[in-house]
Amino acid sequence: MGFMRITPPSGPPITFTGRLHDARTATVLGRLLGLAIAVCFATGVLSHCLQHPPAWLADRLPSRPYWGYRLTQGLHVASGIAAIPLLPAKLWAVYPRLFTWPPVRSVRHALERLSVAVLVAAGIFELFTGLLNTFQWYPWPFSFVPVHYAVAWLLLGALLLHIAVQWPRIRDHFTRRSPGTLALPAADGPDRRRLLAAVVAGAGAATLTTVGQSVTALGPLDLFGPRSPDHGPQGLPVNRTAAAARVTEASLTGWRLTVAGPRPYSLTLDELRAMPQYEVTLPLACVEGWSKSARWTGVRVRDLLDRAGGGPDARCRVVSLEAAGAYRVMDMGRLYAQDPLTLLALGLNGEVLSLDHGYPARIIAPNRPGVLQTKWVGRLEVS
Amino acid sequence: MTHRYVVGGCGIALMAFGGSLLVAQPEPWRVVLWLASGVLVHDGLLAPLVIAIAALAAAAGVRLRGVARAALIVAGSLTVIALPPLLRPGGVANATVLPLDYPRNWLVAMAAVTVIWAGYAGVRACVRRAARRRPDRR
Ligand code: HEM
Repeated sequence: MGFMRITPPSGPPITFTGRLHDARTATVLGRLLGLAIAVCFATGVLSHCLQHPPAWLADRLPSRPYWGYRLTQGLHVASGIAAIPLLPAKLWAVYPRLFTWPPVRSVRHALERLSVAVLVAAGIFELFTGLLNTFQWYPWPFSFVPVHYAVAWLLLGALLLHIAVQWPRIRDHFTRRSPGTLALPAADGPDRRRLLAAVVAGAGAATLTTVGQSVTALGPLDLFGPRSPDHGPQGLPVNRTAAAARVTEASLTGWRLTVAGPRPYSLTLDELRAMPQYEVTLPLACVEGWSKSARWTGVRVRDLLDRAGGGPDARCRVVSLEAAGAYRVMDMGRLYAQDPLTLLALGLNGEVLSLDHGYPARIIAPNRPGVLQTKWVGRLEVS
Repeated sequence: MTHRYVVGGCGIALMAFGGSLLVAQPEPWRVVLWLASGVLVHDGLLAPLVIAIAALAAAAGVRLRGVARAALIVAGSLTVIALPPLLRPGGVANATVLPLDYPRNWLVAMAAVTVIWAGYAGVRACVRRAARRRPDRR
């Protein structure tokens, strides 16, 4: 642990005599942290593209593998949580370098230190805001999604610059036999390995006690996840309730599904039930990391579009009955709309959909974010 | 050498892109304030606190190494991720958000760490005592 000694200001004001504040410790922890952050970045940008596809991409987004979004968003949150113990450990290892003396040697040194400040700020910010978001806790005065996205680019850029700046030290300490590692006190080796094992155990414990929210089999270990696979009507958690969407039983009397297209038509619930029904097993996967698989029954979206005169390339727009909300209108690209797994679901896990899960009819499509699995569907449009 | 400059240059370009996204936000200075606060709270408060505790423990003759240090790191990691559900104010959107008994689960986790730590330390002490009692046959 770092002991501090205050010395007269002629030399450096603070020196550290504790062990393991060395470049080998920084490299090993940096490798793990860098990996976790790379996974977070890749899966985060992927989700961004799925939720806000540019026009040229919308019809090319693949609907398979059906578990893709579940896996990538589970990974995003799990690797972010694993990074939470890694980041302070890494910062502990390099803490003495904060007191480098003299603080600034040259313009280049000043810029390097500034970039390190951006790196640390962005790293702490992303982990902090990301974790709190999964608990739907927003204490900050800005909107989470665009800011978390912007700072992600800042963090990745600062990380690449950091690796470039530190490259000679990283290379010299990359393995146990690298020259820089061998030049460190040999007695520190076992102690360092024990410290690293402890930090990895901490990261593992944090991950295992939360990942049950997306890996259903690990549900019993879910101590601190914001969601639990065991909690929810019909065996599935809910994000937006019917009450929040201002949809009531009463507002649904006389409900009909309207399908717009070259040959428009509308159907009552009984008429929908009279169409060919399919059962699919698909996960509901939220961007906040939780997900759970369920059995859905209903009508294929592509059959509905076909009947309205949409050709084999038809895509569609889905409009919910909810009064307002960012996801009231949802556009579905061609590959999702034509996938035989994509249903207008009427049933869930062997029961009629409950109101909170989107009664009378909701969308369930493979490999798609939960917020785009529109509930309380009132209208489909061939587009 | 040139690789380093290419990677560093890409880093600067990505930072510039992220910065431009940030500046396009309404009131970007609020974000900058939160970015800076994170560093200040860590470097100025949390890190000195951890170092001071370690120094105090050392002065008191408590050795925070090996298994004791590992137990503290694991307990600390679990506590940090338990803090949001423990401290979050306000109601939840519905009964499936934060459905668990988080205070109880935190106690369970701390008890588990303590039991594993004590068990490991106990086993190790026994093994060492046994090894000392046994005459060295080599
Ligand atoms: C979010 C990710 C990271 C953060 C926040 C971070 C933070 C830091 C900080 C604050 C320093 C001290 C810099 C100075 O004052 O000069 C540092 C040094 C260092 N970092 Fe990182 N780092 C990260 C990722 C990495 C990665 C991916 C590697 C490579 C494997 C790495 C390897 C190093 C090395 C070798 C040093 C020098 C340590 C020494 O000379 O004692 N870091 N890091």
